[in-house]
Amino acid sequence: MDTPQKPIPVVNPWAKPFWEATKQEKLVFQKCSDCQKNIFYPRIACPECFSDNLEWVEASGKGIIYSYTVVESNSPTAFLADMPYVVAIIKLEEGIQMLSNVIDCDPYKLTCDMPVEVVFEKLNDEFTLPKFRPV
Amino acid sequence: MNNQRGKVAFVGIGEVPTGRYPETAAIYHAIESAKLAIRDAGINKEEIDYVMPTASLYSPAFNTELVTCRIVEELGLKNCKKNCQVFSGGSSSSNALTLASGLIESGAAKNVLFVHSDRLGTGVNLQEGIDLFSTAGISSEWEVHFGQHYSSIAALATTRYKYETGCTDEEFSAVCVSNRKWAELNPNAFFNKKGLTIEEVMASKMLSTPLRAKQSNMLFDGGAAFILSSAERARDMTDTPVYILGEGGIVTHFVYSQEPDISRFGWKKAGKEAFEQAGLTPQDIDIAEIYDSYPIYQIIGLEELGFCGRGEAGKLFLNGDTFPGGKLPCTTNGGMLSQGHTGAGGAVALLVESVRQLMGKADKRQVEGAKYAVETATGGTYMDAQVTVLGNEIP
Repeated sequence: MDTPQKPIPVVNPWAKPFWEATKQEKLVFQKCSDCQKNIFYPRIACPECFSDNLEWVEASGKGIIYSYTVVESNSPTAFLADMPYVVAIIKLEEGIQMLSNVIDCDPYKLTCDMPVEVVFEKLNDEFTLPKFRPV
Repeated sequence: MNNQRGKVAFVGIGEVPTGRYPETAAIYHAIESAKLAIRDAGINKEEIDYVMPTASLYSPAFNTELVTCRIVEELGLKNCKKNCQVFSGGSSSSNALTLASGLIESGAAKNVLFVHSDRLGTGVNLQEGIDLFSTAGISSEWEVHFGQHYSSIAALATTRYKYETGCTDEEFSAVCVSNRKWAELNPNAFFNKKGLTIEEVMASKMLSTPLRAKQSNMLFDGGAAFILSSAERARDMTDTPVYILGEGGIVTHFVYSQEPDISRFGWKKAGKEAFEQAGLTPQDIDIAEIYDSYPIYQIIGLEELGFCGRGEAGKLFLNGDTFPGGKLPCTTNGGMLSQGHTGAGGAVALLVESVRQLMGKADKRQVEGAKYAVETATGGTYMDAQVTVLGNEIP
């Protein structure tokens, strides 16, 4: 079977700084200048206080695995060649959470709440994805 | 006291068997289900004044036909004022119920016909189905490119729930066994020929750890329909009206990884609202028709609605309390795990089953003397929690 190309993120204009930063191997998120709430994913207005005053700040890149799974079969077609791969929800120190893959690890030795750190993986010339590895 | 309680009632239900019907057009499942519902209600079809089809996922062209009044014309409904699609994925039936109730209570509609049909068993192949459900409702900006799909989504909830509660693989597998026991008594269930053991579930192929193939729903063709009317008219139409006693709902996320608690979701809040509106507690409920799609959701559902404590639902399944003849009959049509998943129809089938039980028409799987049932539904990546309390009497 021909493996289709990997899906690339469909990016909204207000989220562009996030993807420009990952190309520079930096993980950034929005912070509300009014209520100080840390925000991910990027929003048009603060989802807490509805302010438009959002700034970009850099994340430490450290967090924990909130939950994870090792995909062993029946993946989407574009990921068939990657199996087994780890899909995980990461909770960052800053209190925000995001989906990612955990790489550079034995997938069967992962646990919930395990500390991880960000590592950047180039998808193509346009996109670099933030992934995580055990600390 | 809530003055909405018991104002709207189900008067008729219809359903076609869930399965694979390559020779059968999707419109057949819609029309046959609707026809059965109209006959079940014992009304003249010209009394239907509002048709509410939900969406079909297998074909945008067929869905456009549903939107553009095909059901009204095929059934020949001459007094139908409006045909309007209501769709929120797996929770479509709950949202339709809320909207139809409002229309009926306000007098804007008299008798509302809701119809679901889809052809996901033969309209798409397995890999197309997986690919459809690796994009439908999954964020193309934040999740699709990490290989997220519906098995990994259910697996993420299962992993965290296991970690927090110690629930075992045997207990998750017992959910599948329970649903299969009910399906064996259900002529409309796809998996009604043969039982299932915990050992068979645990020996099935690993999909996304710890979720195995027999803990996953499968996609099929199917259809179901129901008719709602005011409680007052319902009592004239039928001897077995089933009243809407309470409804509760909460939307918790769009992007799955933004859900703050993937081992609970919003069920506690939605359940509390529905039970309070109904003036009932879980102890009053005779049947728990809990949305499955994967075992984890049935377990979380029972716990968060208050049928047992956190970490205890697995044992209810393992002990057989949820089986036919058990003290807490659960998901009595076999659920999506054993009746089959028909897209937005998973919860339509559960709602229709709740009504069927309370009408006393569930034949071999009838829960004797059942007065009250609770039914749950959720759409997308478990984006919302919708809870409905029904009864064949008003408390």
